Amino acid sequence: MRRILGCFKVIPDLELLSEEDWIADDNNLVDTSFVKSTWNVFDESALELMLRLSEQSESLNEPFSMDAVTIGDKISEKYLKTLHALGIDQAVRIECRESIQFSPEIVSGLLTEYIRQKGKQDIIVMGTKTADGSSGKVPQLTAEKLGYPCVTQVIAIEPMEQNNIKITNITDTGLCIQTICPPCVLAVGEAPGTCLSVPTLKARMNTKAKPVEVYTAGQLLKGNLSDIQKETVLTELTAVDEKRCGKVICDGSLEEQIEILYQSYLKGKV
Amino acid sequence: MVLTREAIAEGLGKIVACNQIVTDEKVLKESSLDRYRKFEQTHEVYTQPIPAAVVYANSTEEVKKVLMYANEHGINVVPRTGQSAIEGGLETARENSIVLDGSGMNQVIAVDEYNMQVTAQCGVPLQELDDMLREQGLTTGHSPQSKPLAQLGGLVATRSIGQFSTLYGGIEDMVVGMEVIFPNGEVCRIKNIPRRAAGPDIRHIAIGNEGALCFVTEVTLKLFKYQPENNIFLGYTIEDMKQGFDALRGVMAEGFKPSMARLYDAADASLHFDWAEDKNVLIFMAEGPAGITKATAEGIDRIIKGFDGVNEVNPKIIEKWFAGLNWGPEEIAEEKEEILATNNIGITTEVSGCWDCIYEIYESACRRVLEEVPDMTLMGGHSSHSYINGTNMYFVYYYNVVDCPVEEEITKYHNQINRIICEEVIKYGGSIVHHHGLGKARAHYVWEEYGSSFYMLETLKKAFDPNGIMNMGTLIPVNHDEKNPWMF
Repeated sequence: MRRILGCFKVIPDLELLSEEDWIADDNNLVDTSFVKSTWNVFDESALELMLRLSEQSESLNEPFSMDAVTIGDKISEKYLKTLHALGIDQAVRIECRESIQFSPEIVSGLLTEYIRQKGKQDIIVMGTKTADGSSGKVPQLTAEKLGYPCVTQVIAIEPMEQNNIKITNITDTGLCIQTICPPCVLAVGEAPGTCLSVPTLKARMNTKAKPVEVYTAGQLLKGNLSDIQKETVLTELTAVDEKRCGKVICDGSLEEQIEILYQSYLKGKV
Repeated sequence: MVLTREAIAEGLGKIVACNQIVTDEKVLKESSLDRYRKFEQTHEVYTQPIPAAVVYANSTEEVKKVLMYANEHGINVVPRTGQSAIEGGLETARENSIVLDGSGMNQVIAVDEYNMQVTAQCGVPLQELDDMLREQGLTTGHSPQSKPLAQLGGLVATRSIGQFSTLYGGIEDMVVGMEVIFPNGEVCRIKNIPRRAAGPDIRHIAIGNEGALCFVTEVTLKLFKYQPENNIFLGYTIEDMKQGFDALRGVMAEGFKPSMARLYDAADASLHFDWAEDKNVLIFMAEGPAGITKATAEGIDRIIKGFDGVNEVNPKIIEKWFAGLNWGPEEIAEEKEEILATNNIGITTEVSGCWDCIYEIYESACRRVLEEVPDMTLMGGHSSHSYINGTNMYFVYYYNVVDCPVEEEITKYHNQINRIICEEVIKYGGSIVHHHGLGKARAHYVWEEYGSSFYMLETLKKAFDPNGIMNMGTLIPVNHDEKNPWMF
């Protein structure tokens, strides 16, 4: 049976942070401990595409076994339990006590070691980036370390005969549809309509006893995390001013203001 | 003679300007329902009769004339303002109804800081009003989750309640006076006074009438000092839900007045708090002058810690969580995308009961829903409004819509869950509606809800709306299947 691995990250729901909460401490970290966690949205899409691929593969009699892995704290296990209820065979959490939010080399290193040591995977799917770290490097680095090809900005995956898969991804010149023979790493981008399915309470009850496998970073890596060479080092966090430039139209009557708005902004756009 | 859609639009054109009448097909379809039929709304499948026109009234005079016109010709009128209704109150139960929209009547008429009251037209958005008042150190004290959407007329008409109700009360405790218009064109102004004993309190004919008796055009509300610097938040986990209700009761019975007092069961808590870890959650907020908030918080803390299985949580978590609780257009758009992608839908039903039955209502309704309704993905709830003699229960439930055409979702799932909840509430002696209004869905249980007092409701309807043109099917259903009340 072919194997597919979904890699995901549980992140703080950054939308719940107010502007005043975005204050970096001495270690360049923003305190997000008081907001609820959520799926990283790109990983959520990747997991949903994985579920759909598995479901479609059953009709071709070439089924996948599905595993999921995350690097995170105990809270991540709630998410792994959800994946169990959605049909994931093996749910794995890698415990890493150090902050690796801005360390794609360590994240990809841990994922690679897990894959090497715990079993070859045919397809590895993950989001193209996370909302909190946002390096966008983890899929490529993982692919490089494993020696697999990597397809980025994937928005659809379909099973094909003879163990191939059809990938749709977004490129600079438009949509690209290609047939790929695994193994490969797929970095899922903004795939519309791919919110993760919700398991029923019955499915949750049925899989409640299924254990989550837990490994520590130390178990997977021979040396220390600090031995991993970082290509980039975080030195400073500053807020990005995202205000759009604008102009307040004050002069004249309402009709005249509408005319100014139309002539100076809307004309040619509507 | 029944007027055609075109004739109705033509008649309305003699009352208001043409640009105040909308007959666009898409707008009419969207105006035929509210968020009770969220699944249909999301899929843009419209099963309800389509109205003839949406009329945007700009004055008392225009509302009066439209109502008189409809009354004369027997046309159903659905009053609305902010369109945040979720119990079917905005559904047009008859073909070629008039949807009478008061959102254009959006002037704040007077902020009377000396008498501590504010007068505003029905279309004033609550968020805008309260933001403006807060800049002046004042507040209405009314803060429902629909605050970013709701407008004053609808809030009064549905007998709304806010998240700080345990201190400030429901909208019925805040309304000082108002202007309302009946279908015969009678404009009634109820004057602004602190209290009177001149017969029945006639404010209550309009408050909660759900557009089935009159149209609310103007409201005067009480004002309070806004002192957020004194707010104190408290949070706890508690092992046992029944103990949680007892803890709430303890706080109320001892005479404390937190602005917020909430109890989440573990299922509902899982939607909000990572730290709850499958436990129930108690949350309080003390508001007001510094000395009072300090004493309130200390008193509540003492009471709660006297119960078994209680653990305190960091108050900052509660404060930050609460800041992101309201629902606005962005959340609704996001929810629509999720429903379309997953076919998973989340709905709420709010009820109330005295302390001696609220746990039984909660427990038995949750159990029955899980036993009788398929494809449930979450069933739980919270209490968020407490009183000296009882509290509410806000059931929160999610389900996957499976093997079911869009138009059948309502009878396969939503109406069934509603039925179970109503049956259990009636059985234990609670009320089937705490603050969303009966609307059209729960109107089918109005006889059980009112019992012998239904005579009073029916008489009010007959007296103030003898032709039955005001929001047909709301409060009292027009088509009712006694054996299968969920089939509508």
